[in-house]
Amino acid sequence: MQSPINIEQQLLADLARGDRKATEQVYKQYYKMVTAWIQQNGGSEADAADVYQEAVTILFEKAQSEDFRLTCKLSTYLFAVGKHLWYKKVQQLQKRPGALPENFEDEGGDVAYEDDINSHHERELHYANLDSALGQLGEPCRSLLKAFYQQDKSMQEIAAEFGYTNPENAKTQKYKCLTRLRKIFYGVQANGN
Amino acid sequence: MAIENNIWKLAEMHISGEMTEVERIALEMRLQNDPIFAAELQECINMLRSLNGSARQKRFRSMLHDIHHEQGRAAATKEPRTISLRTHYRRIAAVAAGIMLLASTGTFWAVNTTTSKSVSQYTKLRKEVDNLKRSQIEQGAIIKDIKSTTEKAANTPAIEARISGTGFAITNDGYFVTNYHVTEGADSIYIKDNTGKYYKAYLVNYDAQTDIALLKVENKSFRFGKGEIPYSFAPKKAALGSYIYTLGYPGEDIAYNEGYISSRNGYQGDSLQYRLELPSRQGQSGAPVIDNKGNLIAIVSGKETQSKGTTYAVSSMALLKLLQDVPREVRMNLPKANKLSRLSREEQIEKMQSYTFSVKVYK
Repeated sequence: MQSPINIEQQLLADLARGDRKATEQVYKQYYKMVTAWIQQNGGSEADAADVYQEAVTILFEKAQSEDFRLTCKLSTYLFAVGKHLWYKKVQQLQKRPGALPENFEDEGGDVAYEDDINSHHERELHYANLDSALGQLGEPCRSLLKAFYQQDKSMQEIAAEFGYTNPENAKTQKYKCLTRLRKIFYGVQANGN
Repeated sequence: MAIENNIWKLAEMHISGEMTEVERIALEMRLQNDPIFAAELQECINMLRSLNGSARQKRFRSMLHDIHHEQGRAAATKEPRTISLRTHYRRIAAVAAGIMLLASTGTFWAVNTTTSKSVSQYTKLRKEVDNLKRSQIEQGAIIKDIKSTTEKAANTPAIEARISGTGFAITNDGYFVTNYHVTEGADSIYIKDNTGKYYKAYLVNYDAQTDIALLKVENKSFRFGKGEIPYSFAPKKAALGSYIYTLGYPGEDIAYNEGYISSRNGYQGDSLQYRLELPSRQGQSGAPVIDNKGNLIAIVSGKETQSKGTTYAVSSMALLKLLQDVPREVRMNLPKANKLSRLSREEQIEKMQSYTFSVKVYK
């Protein structure tokens, strides 16, 4: 007999692997709870769905680290993160005055969620920089790296698709592309910072 | 170039952990002796990790999108919002001694069937009137009460209503509308007009999903007022921020409330509802929501459980749709002209009163 927290821990481990079934289960289970709250606090249905997906993505990223352990229920985590994200969004849009509602610090340990969100934003910026570096890369490098990293294609398939005589040649080309990307990427980052 | 390739190979091997013991030791030696190489390798490793991480996140996000859309499709083919399951609790308030009964108000919690776990924030606004133990004295008092009213109305119900809501006329010859949840499970339904007369009514049609019920007063010669219904039904959705008012029966007397449309979509984004900033109480379920021009734009149906002033109302479009769906043999002459548009609000309310009444449901 597993305790509820162990079940959730297992669910989370599956979600971290990108398992569709586990993700679907988590997504559907807490969807209404989080989105209903956002809609009650001035968000549209689309806003609510966006924020919720962002919260689940944060959970996904957080679960990537091996030493991650749940210290609270998934519902609590997603709700708190969703709430924070929404407040931040509202502040950005300046729909409301900057101050958070008075009962904002209700659940304790909110600082931890704040940290998760901040590191998530840093990561997003980092990924955005990487994407822009990829965008500046010429062809065929851009397509080749996208095929390998984003579309998860094997070197065999890439060799066939890009017209290399064998996977080894394709691999050499990939390394060349990575070297170019690295120059642009760390250039972008240096400018970005 | 070979060196460049080599560093990526090493970085890839480092990440995947595919390195023999000998290779690993050799690499570590080199890293210690060559800090520039170490820094470069670290940079390569970081970039590969970012590439992998970014791609992993992209895949995850697109999966979430996919799940979301699938859920939307599933919800669209199923029933978007059915309020059927409910648990209720009642709070009994003792009313003064004497002839009146104990009155209790029940709050109904509707739970969305698609979210079996989350507690709904939606409270229906029908009022439950308890008919618990009644002593002989109380019954005697009621009989006396009935006798005094029989002169006015032929068929006053003998017992106190269990559920009360508000209704409003659709045609002058007896068709009227209230919330479906008010009439649900009824043995008999009466309306009580603002002069205190009771009239028996029956259910003609309903839509549980949008929570509207169409009823008719049994008596064929019955008329709500002197002329045709003074208001017309808004054919499209009213604008955000429109000022609105409502007349309802939270108690035995007609009550006026005013507010505005705070969202064009209702509970959980339901597009057939409005969300109103409008105070409402139990018993006002089914009350008409009228705009400045005297158009009927919605029907009060529920409120947000946690807040005081947020009320949900079913739009007139849902009502019109239900009216279209009535059986052929039902002949209804819907009001065509709006006789309220030029009147002041006080005058509008004056006109409205005969067409708005309390709905009493017995089980």
